[in-house]
Amino acid sequence: MLIELKDVNKTYNNGQPLHVLKGINLGIDSGEFVSIMGASGSGKSTLLNILGILDNYDTGEYHIDGRLIKNLSEKQAAAYRNKMIGFIFQSFNLIGFKTAVENVELPLFYQGVNRRKRHELAMQYLDRLGLAGWAGHYPNEMSGGQKQRVAIARALITNPKIILADEPTGALDSKTSEEVMQLLGELNRQDKVTIIVVTHESGVANCTDKIVHIKDGVIGRIEDNREHHSSMFGTQTIMK
Amino acid sequence: MRDLFVEIAESVRRNKLRTALTGFAVSWGIFMLIVLLGAGNGLMNSFVQGGGGFATNSVSVGGGWTSKPYDGLKQGRRIRLDDGDVATTGGELFVDNVELVSATVGTNATVCYGKKSISGYIDGIYPAAQMMEKREMLAGRFINDKDIADSRKVVVIPESTAQGLLESGESAIGLLGKYVKVGDLAFRVVGIAKSDRMRNSRDLYAPFTTVKTVYGKGQEVGSITFTTKGLDTEKDNEEFEKNYKSVINLRHRAAPDDERAIWVWNRAHQDVQMKQGRNILSTALWIIGLFTLLGGIVGVSNIMLITVKERTHEFGVRKAIGASPWSITKLIISESVAITAFFGYIGMFLGMLTCEVLDKTLGQAKMSIMDEEIAMLVNPGVGLDVALEATLVLIVAGTLAGFFPARKAAGVRPIEALRAE
Ligand SMILES: Nc1ncnc2c1ncn2[C@@H]1O[C@H](COP(=O)(O)OP(=O)(O)OP(=O)(O)O)[C@@H](O)[C@H]1O
Ligand SMILES: [Mg+2]
Repeated sequence: MLIELKDVNKTYNNGQPLHVLKGINLGIDSGEFVSIMGASGSGKSTLLNILGILDNYDTGEYHIDGRLIKNLSEKQAAAYRNKMIGFIFQSFNLIGFKTAVENVELPLFYQGVNRRKRHELAMQYLDRLGLAGWAGHYPNEMSGGQKQRVAIARALITNPKIILADEPTGALDSKTSEEVMQLLGELNRQDKVTIIVVTHESGVANCTDKIVHIKDGVIGRIEDNREHHSSMFGTQTIMK
Repeated sequence: MRDLFVEIAESVRRNKLRTALTGFAVSWGIFMLIVLLGAGNGLMNSFVQGGGGFATNSVSVGGGWTSKPYDGLKQGRRIRLDDGDVATTGGELFVDNVELVSATVGTNATVCYGKKSISGYIDGIYPAAQMMEKREMLAGRFINDKDIADSRKVVVIPESTAQGLLESGESAIGLLGKYVKVGDLAFRVVGIAKSDRMRNSRDLYAPFTTVKTVYGKGQEVGSITFTTKGLDTEKDNEEFEKNYKSVINLRHRAAPDDERAIWVWNRAHQDVQMKQGRNILSTALWIIGLFTLLGGIVGVSNIMLITVKERTHEFGVRKAIGASPWSITKLIISESVAITAFFGYIGMFLGMLTCEVLDKTLGQAKMSIMDEEIAMLVNPGVGLDVALEATLVLIVAGTLAGFFPARKAAGVRPIEALRAE
């Protein structure tokens, strides 16, 4: 098991306490391509943030690769995120005043990799995602699909074990969404990287091998979707 | 390191106007600091130049009246220094602390040159007096050892005294090599000394031995002046004076602890006071300058706070992809130090330039105090040490200005930072 959650609980205490995650038990193996689906407010993002060590949980246990992730200092958390986890966000979260290649380089900067090597590697990844020609462009000069591909390159550059994507296609049209999901699928198959995608869209979920349904803060059905017949892109995009 | 500079440059480029306005406050602060300290130095230099008549390690001794009975003698007795005192001062007893010894013996005399005459005061002195009293020569030479040995009839005339012997408009230098009549005797003028405001304009200098023999002073000595060595602290000086007084007092059968039997004037004390005054002045100027600078620092801190607020989301992204809190802190503090240092140096440069201008203008303006022209400012400006100190101040100030914003930026949890905007 690469990722193991045992009875994880999370309550938000801003004013009215809100028990969002009510005992999550979930295991994800290395190399899996998983989607998490659920209604709005069901706690998908909360769960993903805990998986990404961006947020804390209250009780239970969370292990990555057998290591307990609990009560880490900010410094340790940053180091784990840097080495083991790549993030893809709905709103891309590229740094606006840095060019595409500089954005992709950034995780390596925080690893202390020297400039030349960083640049070389970032160019390789951009090339792989078909963006070599856009390396010197700023995010506001690119389309949503291109921006998301830059973000994917940034997530991949440290060669992480896990890629976490919170509604990566939420800001893209369905054609671009499909391209991005295919890209993630390829990366999963070629690089054996574990990918967890949070989504509303069944078409997006259908691209993954396993669909985890979350309802009212607990894990519901876990669907095996290796046949990819759950629902096709464009048809029955129920929640969009 | 280079990456850090690139990041700072990017951030500054995005906020040019804001940075420039705040930077101006820092420049102004440092500018004021440098100009204040520079002008203060100029003032102190002018003070020292105007008032420093004697070497700071010189001690003058003269006879006084006893203030207590001793050894069967009543109080109120006049003590006159004599050749023995001079010998004792320069002798074995004080060899560790006394360097050069000079003595004076003087008398009033009418001095004539041509038709003009003044009632002057002939000071019989030793060559060492030149250095001790910081006598500068305008022309010719001072009294030398040969004059002393041969009891030559020569005089050195201060410029202001010479003026009394000349028609107005005539140069004092003209007296050099001429003979003046002192009483009934003719003395050759071997030097014209610069005059200063501390001394009488009726003094003339002649060899000690000449005055003694000509005026029949016998063993008597007017005052003794000597330079000291190895007296580094106020305490050393006091101890030495006490010891010296007791020795000389005893030679004249006065109580060793009689404070008034002889008077001792040690310029070391004056020097200490001078240094203290200088320190107080420069401390006061530093404080004023630093307070001026404070406004700039608060400004920088303020823009850093705004920057941090604006960039919260960006910092969230950076943290999500692995930036440690320290790397964020470092970024903010470096930016703050860079802005402070950059504008600080502009201010420092302009401040030094202004000191130069002061030197060329006020530095050349003279004011007249007691017959003497002195410059209002002498060498205004600050040394390398102050520039280095100011640099240090800037770095500390920049760090301080960036510290709280940086802590704020580093302290925000990544999840909250990402939600921001
Ligand atoms: N920082 C927070 N403070 C308080 N409540 C929060 C916070 N973040 C989320 N919540 C609440 O927790 C619940 C779960 O939120 P979460 O973002 O995990 O839902 P989600 O499943 O991702 O929803 P969506 O599909 O709309 O993104 C919601 O009711 C939300 O209002
Ligand atoms: Mg969500």
